[in-house]
Amino acid sequence: MGASLPPKEANLFKLIVKSYETKQYKKGLKAADQILKKFPDHGETLSMKGLTLNCMDRKSEAYELVRLGVKNDLKSHVCWHVYGLLYRSDREYREAIKCYRNALRIDPDNIEILRDLSLLQAQMRDLSGFVETRQQLLTLKPNHRMNWIGFAVAHHLNSNGSKAVEILEAYEGTLEDDYPPDNERCEHGEMLLYKISLLEECDFLERAIEELRRKEPKIVDKLSYKEQEVSLLVKIGRLEEGAKMYRLLLSMNPDNYRYYEGLQKCVGVYSENGKYSFDEIDQLDALYKSLGQQYTWSSAVKRIPLDFLQGEKFREAAFNYMRPLLTKGVPSLFSDLSSLYNQPGKADILEQLILELEHSIRTTGRYPGREEKEPPSTLMWTLFFLAQHYDRRGQYELALSKIDEAIEHTPTVIDLYSVKSRILKHAGDLAAAAALADEARCMDLADRYVNSECVKRMLQADQVPLAEKTAVLFTKDGDQHNNLHDMQCMWYELASGESYFRQGDLGRALKKFLAVEKHYADITEDQFDFHSYCLRKMTLRAYVEMLKFQDRLHSHSYFHKAAAGAIRCYIKLYDCPPKSTTEDDNDKANLLPSQKKKLKQKQRKAEARAKKEAEGKNEESSASGVSKSGKRHVKPVDPDPHGEKLLQVEDPMLEATKYLKLLQKSSPNSLETHLFSFEVNMRKQKILLAFQAVKQLLRLDAENPDSHRCLIRFFHKVDSMSAPVTDAEKLIWSVLEAERPAISQLQEKSLIETNKSFLDKHGDSLMHRAAAAEMLYVLEPNNKSEAIKLIEDSANNLVPTNGALGPVKEWKLRDCISVHKLLKTVLIDQDAALRWKVKCTEYFPHSAYFEGNRTGLSSSAYNQPSTNPENGAANHPGVNNQSAHATTIASNGKLEAFKELTI
Amino acid sequence: MGVGREVAISLDAVRDKNLMQLRKLNTALFPVRYNDKYYADALASGEFTKLAYFSDICVGSIACRLEKKEGGAICVYIMTLGVLAPYRGLGIGTKLLNHVLELCSKQNMSEIYLHVQTNNEDAINFYKKFGFEITDTIHNYYTNITPPDCYVVTKFITQPQPKK
Repeated sequence: MGASLPPKEANLFKLIVKSYETKQYKKGLKAADQILKKFPDHGETLSMKGLTLNCMDRKSEAYELVRLGVKNDLKSHVCWHVYGLLYRSDREYREAIKCYRNALRIDPDNIEILRDLSLLQAQMRDLSGFVETRQQLLTLKPNHRMNWIGFAVAHHLNSNGSKAVEILEAYEGTLEDDYPPDNERCEHGEMLLYKISLLEECDFLERAIEELRRKEPKIVDKLSYKEQEVSLLVKIGRLEEGAKMYRLLLSMNPDNYRYYEGLQKCVGVYSENGKYSFDEIDQLDALYKSLGQQYTWSSAVKRIPLDFLQGEKFREAAFNYMRPLLTKGVPSLFSDLSSLYNQPGKADILEQLILELEHSIRTTGRYPGREEKEPPSTLMWTLFFLAQHYDRRGQYELALSKIDEAIEHTPTVIDLYSVKSRILKHAGDLAAAAALADEARCMDLADRYVNSECVKRMLQADQVPLAEKTAVLFTKDGDQHNNLHDMQCMWYELASGESYFRQGDLGRALKKFLAVEKHYADITEDQFDFHSYCLRKMTLRAYVEMLKFQDRLHSHSYFHKAAAGAIRCYIKLYDCPPKSTTEDDNDKANLLPSQKKKLKQKQRKAEARAKKEAEGKNEESSASGVSKSGKRHVKPVDPDPHGEKLLQVEDPMLEATKYLKLLQKSSPNSLETHLFSFEVNMRKQKILLAFQAVKQLLRLDAENPDSHRCLIRFFHKVDSMSAPVTDAEKLIWSVLEAERPAISQLQEKSLIETNKSFLDKHGDSLMHRAAAAEMLYVLEPNNKSEAIKLIEDSANNLVPTNGALGPVKEWKLRDCISVHKLLKTVLIDQDAALRWKVKCTEYFPHSAYFEGNRTGLSSSAYNQPSTNPENGAANHPGVNNQSAHATTIASNGKLEAFKELTI
Repeated sequence: MGVGREVAISLDAVRDKNLMQLRKLNTALFPVRYNDKYYADALASGEFTKLAYFSDICVGSIACRLEKKEGGAICVYIMTLGVLAPYRGLGIGTKLLNHVLELCSKQNMSEIYLHVQTNNEDAINFYKKFGFEITDTIHNYYTNITPPDCYVVTKFITQPQPKK
């Protein structure tokens, strides 16, 4: 380093490097300038100066200097290394790898560069390169533990587990017998467990279990040891030992569901889908009864049987399970049981059961057949459960009456208001739901959860400013909700984006959706530090698991929602591009030149003012930043806070394709992914890609109404295209020609017939009828009246159930809204839309969309004083209260409003 | 007591974060809306205002105001005391009142009083159990309920003489 310099300057150069490492950038800069005074073309100094400037937020200068440095000294590994570091700091890993490789060509054994390169290769999943680099590092420095481990992990990641085992055993061979010393026992134990998990992965099961038992004294994590042992025992088929082991684990933690599952597997009664024969059910029942006697404190052992028991036995078990929890008052009881509603018949049993409890407690204050009197709160919790039960079944009227009764019984329980808010949301009255959630929030201002829930409801009701104000009550800085972005608060950004989308503000919506996408990029980025950290700390099992998690990161539902949201925005942007710019131009064209000039001046002034304001804000925030933390951290002002620039993309479909590709890669089994693919590619006139989407849709769910829509629309479009002319067109044509017979829906049928048979097959379902009607209209625009008749003839049947109270209709609010939109905007028949609306108002009286007659009622009701005479103060027997002083105030007319509610 | 099993009853202070609980109770219990001064007084009285919890549910409250008498002595005025209807008869009101009475004697307060509508015999009997007595009658105290008269019910606390 700095070899070509005379001694004085060489020392100065060392100072630059040291200053860089100790973050004394000013000092380093000074030294660099001193050298450059004498040797203005010295490449390595130029590079180091650039790297230093990079850390001082002078990016463009940095790149200029570093590039100049490389140019002046192509043969210096320092220059290339620095260039790589610069790229790495900007997350340009591919470029950085290239630079490192150049540096290594000059200095192949430079350990520092090799190590940096290996980190990048792990990050970029260049696995064969990673193996290579790690091998070199081990060859150069075989006495470093980390190099052995790194080499093994590299092979493991490169799908060569047995090689990894060999390396680890070779490494163990280098260790003394009394290894490890006391301060490294944890690390060594982790390494051993990692090795055994590798053996398991390679199916060397016997060897794994032998090794595990031999190394037992050296393994510190005893729980992992046992879990590993039992997993191996089961795989080998030594089920009796496995069962014993699981019982041991259960005695340590009787609430771990996986242990119960494992034990069931060992005793031979386990099924993936939870379906069992009568004999098996009896067997399981006996098993859990005996376990229940052993682990009396476990709630899992009581809960699991509800999943497999049927009929009368289920009823009895549910009764025993629910009673103590209702007495104790466990608000989560319903969500604990809600998975049972997916099993046919169980919801009905639960309904009868809970109604019986309600009746018994109301009339006797006791559970049926019980001696003890229940505390007064049991009735309230029972009503609370019932309300959620009816909500789940879509009987919102009943749900509301039950929850109202519970609130009247005990008006101080926050959960009651939260559930009422949820019921109203389901019933379609979003504003009232938000108001209720706000009421719940006010009852405990220190509870972040009810605050967040309230924010979400407000966003669902499109009250964005109010939601923002409420959200910042819990963020640190208090006033700027940007903080939510820094905290990666994705549910908020998604809900806010959806709200903006509904309100037609595509810019702000995109801004929010893309913010979520950015969080995922950051999460990918965050793994970087762990490549070195985990090797050092030996947390290898966790490390490899983390890498696997990162590989499927983008399949997470929040990312899916964000990408879907962004694509929808871009599609809408493509279909109706923002008019403002063209309108502006038209307006301008009508102006006189002098007026134009004035207009321009005005605009310029406005821009300058905006800029000044933004800067002012920036100064303010940086000033407060200094005062608080003592050091400067300037937050750059977002130049496009409302996403206006995002709207000015040249080709929205190109942008959409970016996110579509991520979805196709990470969520290939989601119907939505391929629906987007269809929409985007149809707009891009990419016939074969659109066809691919259709095929994927048919593969996933051929009976889905949207799949049917895409199928018909696609071939309708193909049929209406003119005969192929170019070679490319002919090629497309021949592919379709060859593929068409393979689609069973279309075989020897016209599209009209296909549509008809789809309708015949699913004539009972509203959404299928709607799809068939819409396609009928697409195929035969003259047949609109028939299409509308198809929809209007749909019948809202009763759900087959023997529910004790009130009938349940099949139609869902969301579906009815989309049918209304179909009538209004696609079939464009305002009369039919109105008829539909009137019909739905009857089914969904709380729906704000259909302007039902019950909307808003409930939100105002709670703002009035309770009129329940039982709670009245003055003359009630046994009332230990008085209200004397208060009444005089009342007479002064200074009544206080509860809380200003803005709905 | 009508309950077969023991349920813990605990008291907690009123703070600005949970003030809404007190408001909810008052809305359910009394035919009156209380103004800001009531809540400010309640918050200012500190330990003299309490919420009562039945297991984890807020079911009752006592709210007091500390008043300065001529001569500088401080006396306690009970603004409200109430328990939600379903939770009455469990000793919650007693617990709330006892808490305040104990506090009074600890802090050497000599007088605690309140107003009761003249026909509210249950309430009068309740307070008499704790050593309160009717000390005055105010006619036409109430404007919109009958009877409009109220008693002033007071307990004078004789401080235990310090042992010599």
